[in-house]
Amino acid sequence: MSSAEKKTEVIHTIKKIMKKISEDVIIQRQMPILNIPKVGYDNTVWSDEKRMLTIGDKKIEVSPDSVKKIPTFAQYLVMANAIKKLLDEDMESTIRGMYYATLSNVGDEKNKQKFWNNQDNSDDAIKAVELLTGIPREVFSVTSKPKGMISGPIKLRVGGDIIDCNLGSRSTSQLIPTNIGDVQIEDVKADFVMVVEKDTVLNNIRKSGFIQKYNAILMTGSGEPDRATRMMVKILNESWKRPVVVFADADPWGLGIALRYKIGSESLSYDSDRLVTPDAQVLGMMFSDIYEYNIPEVARLTANDEDINRANDMKKKPWMKNKKWQKELNLFLNKKEKCELDAFFKHGFKYLAETYLPKKLREVGII
Amino acid sequence: MKPLKSVASVIKSNEKKIQNTIQSPSSNVEKHKIIYSKKAESEFFVDNSALAGFSGERILYMAVRELIENALDSCETFSILPSIKISLKTFDQTNDLWMLSCEDNGTGITSDKLPVAVCSFLTSAKYMEKQQRGLFGVGLKMVAAFSTKDTDFPIKIWSKSIEEADEYYFELRTDIGTNKPIVLKKVINRSEAIIKSNSGFKINVILRARLVPITKNKIYDYVTQTSIVNPYSHITFETDDGIFTFDRRTSIMPAPAMEILPHPSDMDLQTLKKAISKSAGQKITLSKILCTSFQKLSYEKAKEIISLAQLDSNLKNSATELSEHDLIKIVNICKKTKFQNPNTDHLSPIGQEILTIGMMSEYTIVSSKNIVEPLPSINNNDNNIANSQSKKIDNETDNENIKDNNNNTTSKSNFSVKILQPVLTAYTSRIGIINNRPTIIETGLAYGGDISSFKLYRFANKIPLLYDEGSDVAREVVSEVEINKMGITKKQAKEQFSTNKDSKRERIIEVLPIHIFFHICSTKIPYKTAGKESIASEGELKSYMKSCLSELYRKLSIQIRKELKIKEAENKMKLYKHYLPFIVEAITESLGIKNSKLNESFSLLIERHLTKKSNVNDVEEDNIVKHDKPSESKPNLSSLSQQDPKTEKKEKSNILSKSPKNNNNNNRQIDVPKTTTNANQDIHKSKFSKTFSDLNNKKKERSNTIHKKNIGLKKYPKNNNNNNSSEKKLENIPTKQLMINKIDDKQKIRSTDIQPTLDSYQNQRRVNKGKIR
Repeated sequence: MSSAEKKTEVIHTIKKIMKKISEDVIIQRQMPILNIPKVGYDNTVWSDEKRMLTIGDKKIEVSPDSVKKIPTFAQYLVMANAIKKLLDEDMESTIRGMYYATLSNVGDEKNKQKFWNNQDNSDDAIKAVELLTGIPREVFSVTSKPKGMISGPIKLRVGGDIIDCNLGSRSTSQLIPTNIGDVQIEDVKADFVMVVEKDTVLNNIRKSGFIQKYNAILMTGSGEPDRATRMMVKILNESWKRPVVVFADADPWGLGIALRYKIGSESLSYDSDRLVTPDAQVLGMMFSDIYEYNIPEVARLTANDEDINRANDMKKKPWMKNKKWQKELNLFLNKKEKCELDAFFKHGFKYLAETYLPKKLREVGII
Repeated sequence: MKPLKSVASVIKSNEKKIQNTIQSPSSNVEKHKIIYSKKAESEFFVDNSALAGFSGERILYMAVRELIENALDSCETFSILPSIKISLKTFDQTNDLWMLSCEDNGTGITSDKLPVAVCSFLTSAKYMEKQQRGLFGVGLKMVAAFSTKDTDFPIKIWSKSIEEADEYYFELRTDIGTNKPIVLKKVINRSEAIIKSNSGFKINVILRARLVPITKNKIYDYVTQTSIVNPYSHITFETDDGIFTFDRRTSIMPAPAMEILPHPSDMDLQTLKKAISKSAGQKITLSKILCTSFQKLSYEKAKEIISLAQLDSNLKNSATELSEHDLIKIVNICKKTKFQNPNTDHLSPIGQEILTIGMMSEYTIVSSKNIVEPLPSINNNDNNIANSQSKKIDNETDNENIKDNNNNTTSKSNFSVKILQPVLTAYTSRIGIINNRPTIIETGLAYGGDISSFKLYRFANKIPLLYDEGSDVAREVVSEVEINKMGITKKQAKEQFSTNKDSKRERIIEVLPIHIFFHICSTKIPYKTAGKESIASEGELKSYMKSCLSELYRKLSIQIRKELKIKEAENKMKLYKHYLPFIVEAITESLGIKNSKLNESFSLLIERHLTKKSNVNDVEEDNIVKHDKPSESKPNLSSLSQQDPKTEKKEKSNILSKSPKNNNNNNRQIDVPKTTTNANQDIHKSKFSKTFSDLNNKKKERSNTIHKKNIGLKKYPKNNNNNNSSEKKLENIPTKQLMINKIDDKQKIRSTDIQPTLDSYQNQRRVNKGKIR
């Protein structure tokens, strides 16, 4: 569907919801109830068949019946209305913009309160609208700053124009537009896709001519990847059948980020089908690499308690159950050392692109 | 060159000197002689004024105290409704001189006794075994002596005794060296009488002192607290800040304390001798003397004791001839004997009715910094609680009375009398034995209304205690009794009452708007220090107080929980009210429809939701019947079915009519039944009424038990509530519900046929360290 059509669909859905509620009140004379699936840690289920995190069955009922939920109910409806207005005017906004658009005072002189306590509440409301309508928020033009970057032999059609990400790829990368719905991939000439965690690493690899040498597409999520990046990875993997490898720092946090691509995340577990690439391979940086590649001790960081706890948690997860990962995590828990990819620069600025990465890729047979 | 003669004279003078020095060794013997001299009582007390509490900055405070307490005592003894005018004003600022005057309508002092009564230390009409404010015979004399030693003004007294018809005017000073009064003037005022009532006493004295603001506040506090526990007295307090009037709120007075006979467990040689010597001329046996001179000692028992002491109980004339050795035997036996607990006729507690009236309208002196006229605000709460009207109208009339005499200070604060009226008051009391003395503990509590914060009032023998609150047993009691006896948790209390919700206070009680009153009356109050401003935790005192306070908390719990519920309901209503416009607006904007119908329906729905009391099913069925819905008891899903979450999610709304979680009343009108607004309910009448009915039974038993009792070692039973109240006390305490905020117009002056027996023998062991006169 084109974006315009999608937008009308959103408006239509929102209207339908509102109508239902008003009918409940006027005709049925009963309190309306919104049933929303619960999104969170306790409602996330690992699905073996899909090899990703999916949402469970728990639901939350939001209704003016219960006194505690009255503000929430009001918030959801107000946000839905605001989104509809946004679409009517054919404009775009960020989630912070939506926060401001709907902010007002509640209450009388004695106890004034803000409609939103803080921006988290408005984010929740946006998510609720997503869940209620089943449409992701970039479709209704509530976007965020584009974060992911891509570089390599790939052509994208964005809003009618074609962007060749190979052009100027020695010196710069392209931002991945947040509304992936508006983006079509025209042509992929690369052999594989490599995703790295940090954009500094990306710049380093790109500058060394990695793309040209190995015919790869380089991507980064710049930390926690946003939805566009994840979707791009998935599309490249599944629709264009390119293998995907992920490189992150050698610490539990980096590993977590790498796993976002591979198994999904808890806060977006309802959308995993669009975002998760179960076939991605997380190749680095492994904890054993610290010792294999002789990262000098001075460049190694000591793991703190949080890292230890995360590692312990990870060990128990079903997706880390194979031997390789268990070995790696045990090694980490033993030695309690972590390391960043940047530490390779000690061996030379080109070491990463010329020695480490190719070796790793050869091991799995990508090059 | 000097002549030889002068040399000789020098030598002679030297010789004389030598002689003198030679003589001095003999006078050394005299120098080592220790000279004993007798000091007059007045001189002793003036030199050691701290013993009487007259130290440094407290002089004016103590002086005001003494005069007010004297005034109240003199009125209460004869059950006269007190009218007291006290005034403390600067007289000469450069010399720190103050003029203190106090006028009352008590019994006055007869003209022949007056000079001695005012000036000579250790003379008093109050040396007797009963509860009074003043006991030592020192207080008024201290005031007189201080005035004499510090100034050259005489003490002016107008007195119209109840026994004489005329008013006398005296000008006095004290001869400190001899403890005798100096009468400068004595006049009979026939024509221009100052004292308007039948009898009265007015004193006008100049004192030198420095008044620091703390002490001034204490003086103000003292007067206001006196007014609370003596609401039957009319007090006018005039100071440089204005005239403050504390109205008489009731004409009911507590029964005056009666003098009682000493208890035989306190017998010693002195008391025994005195008792015998009193009946010297009469021909009665020793046993008879004993049983008539001591309480709780019957004739039979006296005979027993005497026989155990191996004395002849039938001695008649020779009772006075008994030697001390014989008498001490009696004393020894008595010490080992078990006697019944002493009765409480000598105590005069405040009583439930009077304390409640005092608590119901607390007069306090407040200072407001800006001189704006306070607006009268009558709070007519929606709750229609009967007594929460704050009578600030009275405040306005008080403002008329205020005359600001000194307008020369830069930041002048305007003082006025404010009346605090609580929503609820409660009272309870206990009787116990502390320090071998019967003690009555009364506790009162006032909550809500005009009361905005926590305050602890302490009284001992109707005297307010203002200093040393931190070390007082009352403070401990307040800290130790848990407030969850009020039916709310600490968290709820904090949410409901505290203005600053983040403050971490250990004592959650201080957040609540209650005033707690403790009153202990006894002839031997366990003071902690010689300062007599705080009470020690002696014996069972603390546990009595704790049980009193717990009981009061329980009574308060009903009210507090009610308020909590109301507040909850209000909050709910507010939430709905605030958020409904948003909901309606969102829906109507999206759909592009008018909001009136939606608004109405929603409001109706919410109302019904809030007011649902009846069975939910009925409502549901009504709905179903009305709108041709298939009658299902289970909630049915809407037309939209639930699809696969992989594709688009559709919202489904259940038609669930839930039972409302609160079956509360209609929020708009909360009808608080008037009978429970003031929980001045039948409080410990149970203690008294039990004793009243028991008393009759016990009387019958007593005659039996005495024969059975062994004179052996027995203890006074601990919570001995049953044996101590007398019948007369019971009549005074009403057993029905109290009048709320009404001042009894009938003249309920206590019967004047109770003549106190002025037993003038000094029983020094019984003299309490309660008050210094």
